[in-house]
Amino acid sequence: MTVWQATFWTFLALLGVAVPLTQLGGKSKTVRALSTFLLLLGTLAGLSVASRCLWQGIPVNIELPSVASFPVSLTIDRLSALFFFLICSVSLPVVIFSTSYIAHHYEAGRARWMWALLSLFVLSMAVVVTSSTGFAFLVGWELMTLVSSGLILIEGDAKDRIDNVFIYLLMMHGGAAAVVASFFLYWPSAHGLEFTSIRSASANLSAGVRTAIFLLTFVGFGTKAGIIPFHLWLPRAHPIAPSPVSALMSGVMLKTAVYAFVRFGFDFLGGGPSWWGYLVLTAGAVSGLLGILFALQENDLKRMLAYSSIENVGIIYLGLGTALLFLAHGSPKWAALALVAALLHSLNHAFFKSLLFLGAGAISDGSHRLSQDELGGLQKRMPMTGVAILIGCCSIAGLPLFNGFVGEWLLFRSFLAGPNLASAQAQVVLPLLVGVLALIGGLSLACFVKAYGVVFLGRPRTEQAENAREVSWSMRGALIALAAICLGVGLFPAVLLAPVSHLANRLVGGFPPTEEMQFFAVMPWMGAVILVIGSLTLLASHRKRVTATWGCGLPSLTSRMQYTATTFSKPLRMVFARVYKADRKIEILPEDQPYSPESVSYRSVRTTSFERAFYRPAVERVVGLAHWLRLMQTGNIQVYLLYIFLTLVALLVFLRFQR
Amino acid sequence: MTVLIGVVQALFLVLAAPLLKGIVGRLKARFQKRQGASIWRPYSDLLKLFRKDDLVPPTASWVFRAAPRIVFAVIVSAVAFIPVIQSSALVGHKGDFILFVYLLAIGRFFLMLGAMDGGSAFGGMGASRDALVSTLAEGPLLLAFVAVSIVAHSPTISGIVQWTLGQNFFDISAVHILAFTTLGIVALAEAGRMPVDNPATHLELTMIHEGMVLEFSGPSLALIEWANAIRLNVLLALLIALFAPWGMAAEITWGGLGLALGAYLVKLLVLAVFVAVIESSVAKLRMYLVPDFLGVATALSILAVIFTMIAKR
Repeated sequence: MTVWQATFWTFLALLGVAVPLTQLGGKSKTVRALSTFLLLLGTLAGLSVASRCLWQGIPVNIELPSVASFPVSLTIDRLSALFFFLICSVSLPVVIFSTSYIAHHYEAGRARWMWALLSLFVLSMAVVVTSSTGFAFLVGWELMTLVSSGLILIEGDAKDRIDNVFIYLLMMHGGAAAVVASFFLYWPSAHGLEFTSIRSASANLSAGVRTAIFLLTFVGFGTKAGIIPFHLWLPRAHPIAPSPVSALMSGVMLKTAVYAFVRFGFDFLGGGPSWWGYLVLTAGAVSGLLGILFALQENDLKRMLAYSSIENVGIIYLGLGTALLFLAHGSPKWAALALVAALLHSLNHAFFKSLLFLGAGAISDGSHRLSQDELGGLQKRMPMTGVAILIGCCSIAGLPLFNGFVGEWLLFRSFLAGPNLASAQAQVVLPLLVGVLALIGGLSLACFVKAYGVVFLGRPRTEQAENAREVSWSMRGALIALAAICLGVGLFPAVLLAPVSHLANRLVGGFPPTEEMQFFAVMPWMGAVILVIGSLTLLASHRKRVTATWGCGLPSLTSRMQYTATTFSKPLRMVFARVYKADRKIEILPEDQPYSPESVSYRSVRTTSFERAFYRPAVERVVGLAHWLRLMQTGNIQVYLLYIFLTLVALLVFLRFQR
Repeated sequence: MTVLIGVVQALFLVLAAPLLKGIVGRLKARFQKRQGASIWRPYSDLLKLFRKDDLVPPTASWVFRAAPRIVFAVIVSAVAFIPVIQSSALVGHKGDFILFVYLLAIGRFFLMLGAMDGGSAFGGMGASRDALVSTLAEGPLLLAFVAVSIVAHSPTISGIVQWTLGQNFFDISAVHILAFTTLGIVALAEAGRMPVDNPATHLELTMIHEGMVLEFSGPSLALIEWANAIRLNVLLALLIALFAPWGMAAEITWGGLGLALGAYLVKLLVLAVFVAVIESSVAKLRMYLVPDFLGVATALSILAVIFTMIAKR
């Protein structure tokens, strides 16, 4: 056993031990501290082995005992290493943040469960991305879903929460069914579910089976990734989880689906006909645009972040679709560029989205509010949290010098390579996607200007915001660490570009063009120039005087005169009114006096068009079918015996004619 | 020498920006049968503002004072992308047009934040409207660049300029006409000029940019105003560089550079007259007609990209 295998074992063992330890300790503080420490240590061990595999490209493989003739083994190759790295590097700050968050928010009993499930959650995600047999993969996949819904239920068991968790579980199992089916389609030719045999069997599959596998994985993993129209669970499940868990779900769990999609689409199947690319591109463009449009109108911070996760997954899918398209037209080097863009954006999104979700947790910890319209002026009250979240907002808006820009830039460049292809369709579609990505970028800029501006700037809108206080050091430390990563990767992306290019080379058989990578050399210089000029301007303005804002002659301004989040997004809401289709309800009481009412209430309910056009009819049909099926279920035992008898006869007849 | 000229042309774009503003103002005044202020007036305005105190609302955070400085620093660094009298610029080959467009976005991001930090109604109002305009302008802006860069086989601004210099003016394709129209519309919107925004208004119903800068004073206001002037100058310089670069110095001689500067100034003056004519003859669009106006730009830019298929053959 090499030292790296041992490190990987350490990761698994420490996280595994931490789970029962949290329960055994009872009220003992030492045991609780010990289990947290083990969790941190385990994550560090995982981070070290992941970094080594990612940068050096040497796989680490460990065999576990088989479960009932199903072999179980874990392998960290470069693709696994990237996502394993992502899991560990995000989990580390999340765990640090949780130490004080969990202590503040939950009494001892729930806190114990929280820690136990948190370790198990990280462990299950690690198993998903490192497993090299289908059995281990499916076990991890299922565990990940169950544990995360358990984590959501820790917060409480009100009816709407249970309903949302139910929708989450239902959709996850629908997706998982598709995933299992895609594995079983390999069974006849691969004679097993080891990834190595699946990979070698892929080449000999017929076109129909390949298409079926691709479509099943597209639906199965797309449900987990939250692409539209399979996104319904995402804005329901993510916001109601505790903030550190939301950070893990949005930042990391969605990426396991991206991992699995890349594993199947590129590693196993090795690309396919060009319509695969167009399908993924369409899904990406629709998810990106609609995701950010819904995020823009959402005033609850965590729900807004959940919708923006859909947008970012859309951007990642745009990259994957472009890569598939280039691969289908036989230019692997441009496919590699698009793939690098998608993979880097997955990593970067994990960093800034977990930063923002943890930030939302810090805001609710400091002010007990999460609705943007009830906050305001927090920058003066929570200065460090504010700066970290500002960096997160800059990153997610895709501004240069921050990490969100890196992936988007590479994606723009791969779109620009479209005219190099021979297909006339791709020559037009890919450059036009620049416009789509630009619109997504513009909308996300507006969305996060609104979020940061309304929550952190101006005057506080409520007493809670007025009395907000800075959060504890461990929370601040986690936020600052993630913010530093965002800024660091934005300024020096070359650190990550090199290993990810090698990974892309292994997946599509070509390195991204080197001249595309050299553009990043200009980033640190740009940052330095902006910093120098910015500080020079400070010299010109040394005198500062604090004086009240002009109030148009009124004695003083109140916070109600400021623009709120709702008014800020009103112009864009009007322009994109067709997308939103808001149901407005105005109630005037009493009804017989419309001109001198005692109270007027206004409510705007948004059900997305998908819910209306796609899900509701489906649910109604299923319920209708169930009613019809109920006719068979009489509850009379003789009838059931008759059913069994008839089935037996039918089978015998079937066997007779089979022969 | 090339680098030196690069520095000189960057400084030119920064330092001459208030003059351009003065000239446009003077031309506008003449079209409206007014005397108008001196063309040097913006410089004295800036000097006056720089000598004043920076007034900060008591509720504002550090973002309020940082925002104007970031806006200024970002636009000054974006200047390094634009060729003026020679086809290369300081980062003309190192950064592409995507980086350039997104650098401008940093400035916009922080200007909106600064506006919202003022704590009054106007800042948020201006920011909200600016978010609308800039969101819708981003698509056509990038698509117009894409069309031109596909034809020129280069993603950098200097690369496109070099390609265009090698072409005959009369061979110019439909792609360029469409892209030029798009960029012209977008430039008016991005620089906050008529018919999208009226730079001379202080009426709450109409102001966009002015609403955002209402709470700023002294040096902060000076930096924002200067940055805004530079932005107009940069956008016009970009139009010239991408669509009419002829006259730029091919090799570096004093005569060639002088000629290039002269040609540039003539082209700039033509565009300034154009801006002044539009501002004096067109009414500001209603807020909710702006999306239609930018929709025209979007449609033109999409056509431009589609036409590259034909132009390449």
